[in-house]
Amino acid sequence: MPTEKLIVIGGDAAGMSAASQAKRRRPDMEIVVFERGPHTSFSA
Amino acid sequence: MRDLKGDNASWESYDQLLIATGASPISPDVPGADATDIFGVSTLESGLNIHRRLDKGGIKRAVVVGGGYIGLEMAEALVMRGLEVALIDRSAQVMGTLDEEMGALVSQALRDVGVTLYLAEELVEFETASGKVTGVVTDKRTLPADIVILGLGARPNTALAGAAGIPLGEKGSIRVNERMETGIAGIWAAGDCAESFHLVSRKPFYVALGTVANRQGRVAGINLGGGYATFPGVMGTAVTKICHVEVARTGLQEKEIEALGLEHVSAVIKSRTKAGYFPGAGEITVKVLAEKGSGRLLGGQIVGKEGSAKRIDTLATALHAGFTVEEMINLDLGYAPPFSPVWDPVVIAAREVAKKL
Repeated sequence: MPTEKLIVIGGDAAGMSAASQAKRRRPDMEIVVFERGPHTSFSA
Repeated sequence: MRDLKGDNASWESYDQLLIATGASPISPDVPGADATDIFGVSTLESGLNIHRRLDKGGIKRAVVVGGGYIGLEMAEALVMRGLEVALIDRSAQVMGTLDEEMGALVSQALRDVGVTLYLAEELVEFETASGKVTGVVTDKRTLPADIVILGLGARPNTALAGAAGIPLGEKGSIRVNERMETGIAGIWAAGDCAESFHLVSRKPFYVALGTVANRQGRVAGINLGGGYATFPGVMGTAVTKICHVEVARTGLQEKEIEALGLEHVSAVIKSRTKAGYFPGAGEITVKVLAEKGSGRLLGGQIVGKEGSAKRIDTLATALHAGFTVEEMINLDLGYAPPFSPVWDPVVIAAREVAKKL
């Protein structure tokens, strides 16, 4: 089975929370996050 | 996808897509709104832009447009930097998420730290010179301004989702189910771009808050990772402060209760943040609202000195649990003189409401 690929648009609170949760559960998942600004998850 | 550095466009395929595009500050549709030195605040970078502009110098007078959370917090920050700060709001009070008498306490707190308030004044236009803002014109006056901060709320960034045919909901936010999946299979949404659900009104609700974004993101991520999680909703719980005065609210305020056609009773009490005789005890005002007859807790609001705001969490938890004000009276809350009067202020308010049911 090919690796499932998740794309996340937006790398702040919601996007990075989701990406980290998904990666923890599915280390094999390919996850790509796109963020317009220079910072990710800036309030964490 | 377009690379903002190189301007190269590329295609990315996906099996699952999460839209977490956030929200953007609302810009008023008035002449001059595109002038320089008018700033919205939504990201770390937008905050840094204001910082950098202030550091450059030549800024003495600031006008904040809008008296919500962003407006208040920016007014505080600008006062602390020594600027002359005026705040305008079209409504007769600041903090529209509070009822009138509680909002008045926040207005007073702003005045006490030197912010000049112009309430019930409509923004008409911005005066500009060579493309730079120089003043804010309301329907009643013109305020000179070296810098303007916009605190008019946020709009979900859903143009892309809308254009893709993903169903939108409240205030143009992306409609999602409890697992944070949109109306299109394989596409998910979370955070300030996504719709929420109000647990007290039982209606779709839109709120742009980092705490909600974190919880929605967690739920989306668990589901995307093959697990199962749901996001039940929110109650509009929020806290802020203006210098030494803390502000908190949860649940429904009067106008929301009335819009639902419910009848309510409420009480506003004044108490202290610690035992009255304890050094450092400060004033705290608590308002509790409950449904008439049933006594079901509907909402609460707090304004007071240090140690006030997080007491809202007791009310928020009681609201989550569906408690009546009577059920709140015997809550086994912590007490010792450095922390609270014998009866916690939120329980004093609940008792007062219970007397009126």
